[in-house]
Amino acid sequence: MDNDRIIKYLKEVCQTPEPENKEVFFQRLEERGLTSGRPVVINHGDFLLRQFPYIGKWIWLLSSFLLLFIIGICYGNTGNYPFALTPLLAIGILIETRRSFRWKMAELEHSARFSLRSVMLARMFLVGAVETAGLLIVILLVQPWFSYSVIRISLYMLVPYLTASLVGSVYERNNRSDNAWGSVIICILSSAFFAAAPYYLSIMYEERFTIIWMVAFILLVLSLGISVRRWICDMEGPVWSL
Amino acid sequence: MELVADRITKQYKNKIAVDRMSFTLTKGVTGLLGANGAGKTTLMRLLCGILVPDSGTVSCDGMSVGTEEYRDILGYLPQDFGYYPEFSGKDFLLYMSAVKGLTKKDAMRKTKELIELVGLEDAAGKKVRTYSGGMKQRLGIAQALLNDPKILIMDEPTAGLDPQERIRFRELIANIGQERIVLLSTHIVSDLEHIADRLMIMKDGQLLWNGSRSAGGEDLEVFYISVIDEKR
Repeated sequence: MDNDRIIKYLKEVCQTPEPENKEVFFQRLEERGLTSGRPVVINHGDFLLRQFPYIGKWIWLLSSFLLLFIIGICYGNTGNYPFALTPLLAIGILIETRRSFRWKMAELEHSARFSLRSVMLARMFLVGAVETAGLLIVILLVQPWFSYSVIRISLYMLVPYLTASLVGSVYERNNRSDNAWGSVIICILSSAFFAAAPYYLSIMYEERFTIIWMVAFILLVLSLGISVRRWICDMEGPVWSL
Repeated sequence: MELVADRITKQYKNKIAVDRMSFTLTKGVTGLLGANGAGKTTLMRLLCGILVPDSGTVSCDGMSVGTEEYRDILGYLPQDFGYYPEFSGKDFLLYMSAVKGLTKKDAMRKTKELIELVGLEDAAGKKVRTYSGGMKQRLGIAQALLNDPKILIMDEPTAGLDPQERIRFRELIANIGQERIVLLSTHIVSDLEHIADRLMIMKDGQLLWNGSRSAGGEDLEVFYISVIDEKR
């Protein structure tokens, strides 16, 4: 008897509630399926904005912390090595691109109207745009503390940032493991390289070599564009290997 | 409305997962039966545009599988899916609505309707990580229906559902299948007995049998085994 009561109680507790408006739902579904054409869908701009709240909060925290840290270091030091901190900003963007795979959402996203490609591009664009805007504000803020022009400081900060982003994107494209340590190490190594550069390549920071930084900047932007394009076009492999 | 697969093939290194399969799916529920490793999941991924076939084509009323328009009328439930850790059931459906291109207003409406339909009203605000297997599966079914799909592809949809939930799921699919193309894969024959209009049986990447459910006779399990044995 006790067992019966327990079974009855468990059934009551575990039972899935019966939907009350099921018939109305089916009726609507049927009406829409029979009469309407394609439903109203949002455009790419709206989709981009709708992705904003879904970017990990820690990405914004990390980026804000790093930008403030760069300001702090630049304030205390007018040497060239504070510029080497910018590759660390690329950690956020690189890790964000892994999110769909890490949390096994890639297959669902890939089959939706705005497929995985759009989701990844939107995230890269949003994080990249916000970080670049933040970096440009930082450049304007710290410029008075340096003897360099705004253009030169921009190049000294953006070239390391783009270098880490490019190497990281190539790594991410070819390496589809679940963890992101590879990208973190790439960003740290890039940072270390540019921190050491003022010591063994101090000549590069002279004004006459600004043109080389400019060429490097243009090449990095182009290469990054190509790398991201390849990465986005090759989505089949990672989804299959889930 | 017709979903046409024309001589599709997919090969992985040394295994042909789908071997020159051709078929046409029309309105109604089609059951895809096959043992584990028969190639059901690969076939479903090909039909959803997640995998690109090595040869052959998939299209629906002239729309190729890789297009936005095709994905717009597609609902897909993968065999295994995850969720972002911060998501509640409602957040998950709202997110999928955004990726499926629904406006905010439609997303809210559909989310509310579907949460009720799959019996997750009380758990809608709770984190998905606290859900049981059956609840998560019901959430997956709900997301597949968000965009009122004309093509519904579900890979092992009854996995994790308890007997009562299975019955409700069959009822739901039978209703939806009246006006839509529904393809369900399973290795549990009884799942299809009462709802499938057509059957497809796969083995080693090949389509062994494709025809009406009624041709399978009363006992579907016996029929399935006889088809598999016949091709040995």
